[in-house]
Amino acid sequence: MHELLSMNFIDINLAVALQVILLGFIGGILSGFIGSGGAFFMTPGMMNLGVDGVIAVASNITHKFGKAMVGSRKHAAAGNVDKKLAAFMLGTAIIGIQVAVAINSYLFNESGGGHGAAKGAGANLYISLVFAFILTFVAVSMLRDVLKSGGNGEAGDGPSMKIAEFFSRLNLPPVIKFEVADTKVSLWVLMVVGIATGYLAGTIGVGGFIGVPAMIYIIGVPTAVATGTELFLALFMGGYGALSYAYQGFVDLRLSMLLYLGSLIGIHLGVYGVKVVKEKYIRVVTSLIILLCVISRVIAIPVYLRQLGFISFEADWDRYFNIASKFFLFASGISGALVILAKVVHAYLHRRKIQKTLLIHKSEKSAISPAESARAG
Amino acid sequence: MTIVMISNRYQGSGEDLARTLAAKTRWPMLTRSEMQDQARKQGIKIGRLETSMIKRQTEKLAREKELYIAMLTAALCEKAREDNLIYTGRAGHLLLPGVSHRIRVGLTVPMDIRIERTVRALKLTPDKAENYLYQLDEDVERWIRYVHNADNHDPDAFDLFFNLEKMTLSNAADILCNMAEQPNFQSTPSSIALLDDLYISSQAKLRLAFDERTQAADLQVQADNGVITVTYPPHQEAISKYIPDVLADLDYCREIVCTMAETNILWVQERFTPESENYQQIIHLAQRWGAAIELMRLLPPGENIKIPAINNSTGTPDSNRRHYLSVAGCGVEDDDPDAELDDGGLGRVQEELIHLGRCGGQHTVCGGHDKILEQVQANGSYALVVIGDIFLSKGHSARTRRTRELVLHIRDRLKAPTITADELKSRFLFGPRQALTLVGFVALVFLIYWLVFTNQGQVMDFLSGSMHQHHKWLAAVSVFFFIPIIAYLYGTVTDLILKLINVD
Repeated sequence: MHELLSMNFIDINLAVALQVILLGFIGGILSGFIGSGGAFFMTPGMMNLGVDGVIAVASNITHKFGKAMVGSRKHAAAGNVDKKLAAFMLGTAIIGIQVAVAINSYLFNESGGGHGAAKGAGANLYISLVFAFILTFVAVSMLRDVLKSGGNGEAGDGPSMKIAEFFSRLNLPPVIKFEVADTKVSLWVLMVVGIATGYLAGTIGVGGFIGVPAMIYIIGVPTAVATGTELFLALFMGGYGALSYAYQGFVDLRLSMLLYLGSLIGIHLGVYGVKVVKEKYIRVVTSLIILLCVISRVIAIPVYLRQLGFISFEADWDRYFNIASKFFLFASGISGALVILAKVVHAYLHRRKIQKTLLIHKSEKSAISPAESARAG
Repeated sequence: MTIVMISNRYQGSGEDLARTLAAKTRWPMLTRSEMQDQARKQGIKIGRLETSMIKRQTEKLAREKELYIAMLTAALCEKAREDNLIYTGRAGHLLLPGVSHRIRVGLTVPMDIRIERTVRALKLTPDKAENYLYQLDEDVERWIRYVHNADNHDPDAFDLFFNLEKMTLSNAADILCNMAEQPNFQSTPSSIALLDDLYISSQAKLRLAFDERTQAADLQVQADNGVITVTYPPHQEAISKYIPDVLADLDYCREIVCTMAETNILWVQERFTPESENYQQIIHLAQRWGAAIELMRLLPPGENIKIPAINNSTGTPDSNRRHYLSVAGCGVEDDDPDAELDDGGLGRVQEELIHLGRCGGQHTVCGGHDKILEQVQANGSYALVVIGDIFLSKGHSARTRRTRELVLHIRDRLKAPTITADELKSRFLFGPRQALTLVGFVALVFLIYWLVFTNQGQVMDFLSGSMHQHHKWLAAVSVFFFIPIIAYLYGTVTDLILKLINVD
């Protein structure tokens, strides 16, 4: 195991393995429920277990690659994938991923004195800052949308299309038409969206948080098609990210494999949750979970700042920061997952009772003959 | 009786052709703008629907769309049941789906002429008029895709297409007059029955949507042979008790079936029986999904079916006389008072489904995939379409091939998961074959994890240590291929386990 530690990989015993599986399970539930990759929970979770940021990102993007392969097949069957749009975005997303991998690798290898516990502190700090900034923006926007919708519990008027309309009327040539998404957009707008998606997927593993809203709000893609196309895109971005990070030697295959054990079960439960929970409830739960994840990551930042020499305090305090960060992360994940699971179990038990047909002969409409069956079990 | 449905575009001569035909035949004529006025009077926000549809598609919009189509259908049916009818409007050819005595007419007019007319009508420059028309045509195509779930350029959706570059409106109208006299476009008892069903289902939708007791409900409504089937989601169960009251006194309606369901499964087959394996499997799946089962009996052209005649004054079948209309190849063959009702087992299966609380309605269609699509596109969305035993008169190979072609066509056009009954078991149910796969895959997954975790040092050395330094590309490619294999194997295991415990 000492060889592993010298290679910056953590020692995985039964307790750590169970925690990684739990991370995967909760991440999977949140992923299925929210429609993102779940990296916003799994990446910092692994970092709290002592995994270097870049290794956590690399292992998660590798894990996401396989998961997207399974998920995108289902979306493609439902006609929710615009392959042409995905192909255009992929070309530019790869540039974004390459930039992200280069920055992460540079910060990992060059910062923090180059060895020991502080190695990777620069990359950890950078990943945490990007993570906190982007996810705060996403969570606050989501909460604002819920408040704006007037709390009626329905999807309401849906996403605002002002930006998408502006870009579609821009006519900055070449303008490309996408049949499945039923929209047209300038190649230049696509390039910016693709690079941003790729960069975030490569930096913190949450490209979907930018890719999906960008497709909806900027390109004007219907929500279902945006989610399906993003997952299809994630398959290739994940594949390319995995290949790049594995080439650099940052992929901890064991972590990816352990994440699968939890996530591939969790994702089914999360997707089931979406069917039985109101839209408004989904958005509120999602944004609160994301905000708690952000708080968790912000709490860990002083440790990286100390390791880099920007601030000073006793190294023993790292443990307390780490515990507090872990607490917030697991509190958000576990409470979110428990709420979703409770809804899923309730719906599962209730569903078995949904068997009821009333037959009314109109000629004798006063006498309703209930050919009704309420078989439980 | 004949219904002429002309698809029109802005400055596309559709209304001119309709007027010319109406002048020649003295048939009543309806236009889209008249229908829109009527919709506005009924409180349907048609302007908002048009602008919102182009900008964004929301749940509220979907309900407004349903309402608009219901209003349009009800108005057209009301007129068409009494007399011949000419209608012209955007996507006019897609209205009254399945009614065999309508002629679906498409028109094309050279762009130069349309630009010239637009310049005159809107006082625009030719360039601006051209841009305006392109933008408008694009928006109309988007409207048709959204409202009718259809492609405006699909030639299958038209019976006749005129190019008015050289042909005069009078010539085109003469051709339509001749065509209307052909037997294929004359009304038959089955096409009139379908018109009645479209009428009562659209009337039912309008009543339910405008009644304050039920307007908040998310309902699916369809009618077959005077039987209205309403499905409602479980969380709106409280509203369901008002449905019979709201639909009371609806003309031509003889029965109302209300089913609580989270989603709908469409089952297409030639003959139904509750004892069949297909029935048991679909029931099992419906119970798992909380779904209602909608039955569609598909008959090949030329086969005889009999439908009960409805006494229009009471809306009930005249059971004393056992009077059935016998329909051959979708047309009338005989009217035999002693004939026995052959509904292909629909009635028995429907009774079973009502007993089990899974009834989602029924239809009988005669023809191929276009007829199925016409029916289902008008009815809403499905969680699954199961194509059961059809083309029974064909040999095994021909039946398999044609069923496969039908599945692909419906899947492509309906954008809903569509499978054969054989696939139902392998994809959604758990049987001995799935159990064997589960055991095999669990063993494989266990072996792979055991190998990796008992050799962590070597594995990580290959991926990141000294060995990695010499074989960077090999390590990267190994990860690239290994991870999807693990995801597939373990993903299959979780899928099967969830199927086993009925969670999907």
